[in-house]
Amino acid sequence: MSTEAHGDSHFLQHHYDTPAQQFNAAKLGMWLFLAQELLFFGGLFVAYGVFRSWYPQAWVVGSHLLDYRMGALNTAVLLLSSFTAVMAVRSAQTGNQKATGNFLLATIALAGVFMVVKYFEYAHKFEVGFLPGSHFAPHGVGLAEIVEAARESGVNGVPYHLRTFFGLYFVMTGVHGLHVLIGMFVMGWMWNRNRKGEFSTRYSTPVEMTALYWHLVDIIWIFLFPLLYLID
Amino acid sequence: MTTEPLASHSPSSPDDGEVHHHVASARRHVIVLLALLGFTALTVGAYTINLGEWNLVAAVVISTLKAALVVWFFMELKDDVAFNRLVFLGAVIFIGLFMAYTMNDTRHRNRVDAYNGARVDPRSGEFAGGTAAGIVAQGGELGPLPVIAAESDGEAAHE
Repeated sequence: MSTEAHGDSHFLQHHYDTPAQQFNAAKLGMWLFLAQELLFFGGLFVAYGVFRSWYPQAWVVGSHLLDYRMGALNTAVLLLSSFTAVMAVRSAQTGNQKATGNFLLATIALAGVFMVVKYFEYAHKFEVGFLPGSHFAPHGVGLAEIVEAARESGVNGVPYHLRTFFGLYFVMTGVHGLHVLIGMFVMGWMWNRNRKGEFSTRYSTPVEMTALYWHLVDIIWIFLFPLLYLID
Repeated sequence: MTTEPLASHSPSSPDDGEVHHHVASARRHVIVLLALLGFTALTVGAYTINLGEWNLVAAVVISTLKAALVVWFFMELKDDVAFNRLVFLGAVIFIGLFMAYTMNDTRHRNRVDAYNGARVDPRSGEFAGGTAAGIVAQGGELGPLPVIAAESDGEAAHE
């Protein structure tokens, strides 16, 4: 650590000339990572498109088996969390350590609300047998829900590929949910680093990169919500 | 063109080597949030009034607008260097290519045979596998609706 050469720029790693160079490198790296994330989710969206075009009836009935009010609530929660994340970045950039910590905590709390709502949705599906692929075995209330969903969709029967719909539903929302959990963990880490005073108006890169990741998680949900819950 | 230090190409850094953020006003962030929530309400509204075939179009168009707001303002691609914008745009374009080429195949399997007046797999004499037309033609997509007993309170009553 050549602290002598860089004065109080303790955050500046020795292989960078200036804080700006280090920041630009970090940001390019982050955007490349996010591009990779987009392509990863892109594969799932392509699978969604293919199966939806093959089994349109399963998709319509399947979406009626999801509660769009829960999905809409979670959309609002994640949008709000993106706002608190961007406010955490703003606070860090302006050197407001206390506000940075509070906005990070608010973001973590909203992510927690998202996961709790998701838990209730998953719990119900497990209970009535709306499971992916060969595990699809609706029973009890689930059967009545299917009859009702088919009636609402104008479909005369149970689409065989409801199991495929729920397969994609669980993979897409599951992988997204995993990203939410990872985001909560990373924001907790950032909260702790902020508490220890590691960030300043000169250096807030980790908070900014975390927020970029969080916004991407939000964007994925912005597409998942209407594509899974609002088909007709 | 004279040679300049690389960092000066970035809008976030003039010549002193420090990071200079475009700190946006909190007000702008609030306005973007309200727009995003408004678009969400619009999506749900479009669903509840049921636009039929146009539901998918409305959903995708509105979602794209929302994603654009998040990327442009919250992720501040607006003030970012051109190369980062290119990275993002590249990912979007390749997803589009991936989607378009794949679905151009999967949606139209079986169609060539139909054009030739034979909707069967010429090798096996059966409907081509993995296609909606083939599955529906075999009566494969829809099963009978379950019979719900009036007294049923669930729990494996219909296994």
